Amino acid sequence: MGLPFDISYVFSFVPKLASTLLLTLGIVAGSLLSGLLFGLIAALPRLYRIPVLQQASVAYASFFRGTPILIQLFLIYYGLPELLKMAHIDVTRTPVLVFVILTYGLHTGAFVSETIRGAVMAVDRGQVEAAYALGMTGPQAFLRIAAPQALAIAVPVLANQTLALLKDTSLAFTLGVMEMSGKAQSLARITQHFLEAYLALALLYLAVAFILEKLLLAAERRLLRHERPGEAAGRFRLRRGLTLRKLASGLQGGTPS
Amino acid sequence: MKLDPSFIGEALLKLLEALPTTLAITAVSVGCGFLAGTAIALVRVYRVPVLHRLAAAWVTVIRGTPMLVHLLVIYAGLTLIVDTLTGRLGLGWNSARIPMIGFAYLSFSVTASAYCSEIIRSGLLAVDKGQREAAQSLGMTAMQTLRRIIFPQALAASVPNLTNFVIGMLHGSTLAFVVSVVDINAKAEIVASTNWKFFEAYLAAAILFWAMTILLERAGGAIERRINRYHKGGVA
Repeated sequence: MGLPFDISYVFSFVPKLASTLLLTLGIVAGSLLSGLLFGLIAALPRLYRIPVLQQASVAYASFFRGTPILIQLFLIYYGLPELLKMAHIDVTRTPVLVFVILTYGLHTGAFVSETIRGAVMAVDRGQVEAAYALGMTGPQAFLRIAAPQALAIAVPVLANQTLALLKDTSLAFTLGVMEMSGKAQSLARITQHFLEAYLALALLYLAVAFILEKLLLAAERRLLRHERPGEAAGRFRLRRGLTLRKLASGLQGGTPS
Repeated sequence: MKLDPSFIGEALLKLLEALPTTLAITAVSVGCGFLAGTAIALVRVYRVPVLHRLAAAWVTVIRGTPMLVHLLVIYAGLTLIVDTLTGRLGLGWNSARIPMIGFAYLSFSVTASAYCSEIIRSGLLAVDKGQREAAQSLGMTAMQTLRRIIFPQALAASVPNLTNFVIGMLHGSTLAFVVSVVDINAKAEIVASTNWKFFEAYLAAAILFWAMTILLERAGGAIERRINRYHKGGVA
């Protein structure tokens, strides 16, 4: 299959693929924002132990972490219109991109909710007790005391989840979205230069991942400029040894995507 | 088109036919990835000259690109190389003779090797330096130290990460449809389009994956508890 390898095609494919980069980054940005929102909404009932909602949140996180993103894409794309049809809402004219961003958002939200939960639980209980003793209300104690400290633990993990999300968006082509991978596959078929197109695709992903990683690291340093290095991890270690390893599983980006 | 709950069970039974394929892909990629990942991690931890830079570059490139891209590049690249070689040498066969699942095995093993090496490397780094020094002062050789002292502790520390990694590879195996391998995901599409019941078919696939993931999590938790029994610290 295909025509003989010709390296010049790789370079001519790169700008063509780069034209779809904006769509890929748009999916990442949309999914990340909705994922942070879903994640926060799902984490709160578990942090404050609200009955029923807590169980629902556990089930949500378990399902979206326990099934492949590819299955979730199809499930939501085919399933959501059916479910909404029962409620007499017609979504057949909704663009595919909405379903794609919603799925990635829900998927990311499940991971984000676990991260937020883990990070908040890692903040020493005495901190919140001291805040209450000073007369702060619940939301004040959360926003002023617990959240900033939890952020120090959560931010590196969230940065990793963003990079994983970038790579996961390569699956959006299955629903016919012409993002970078979809474009690469159609270019490959049209020109019959398969390897060249996929190498150009790999180069682009590598470049974007590299730049994104540097940006996230810079953002991390800016956000955590009040933390002394290693303090967040040290505090974690004091509470319980095992959770440090669970945290590391997020830090090391242990799951392939 | 109405939701048909009874079809979910029917679809589940049909999807079970594809379960061995999914499990085989996961097992092969995790197995090969673990072996290659251990080698990469050792090269990096012991800073083998030249090789450790190559290993670091390999991990960066693989982790910086999606799993789908590995599969596409390996499929296109390997068929091109094999066809060129067999054509030149006049062997009279071509890449069509390679079973499609072979590409999935190879490509997912490549993906797994990079991710697994990072897990094992962090496990190796978590072992206290004094452990190695003590082993060497007792006269153990480098191999003995590694096998008897370092590896057991490094692997024990990596169990939660390894569980997540196996689950990740299980979920990643759904990409096999790209090279026309019929795993659970591809089977779900076949069942869905032949019966025109997409939601039910994918719901059945999701249930199957969810169940397998929960089983793997449980197994990982059990192994972790078993290991930590010897890992309490203190004197009593």
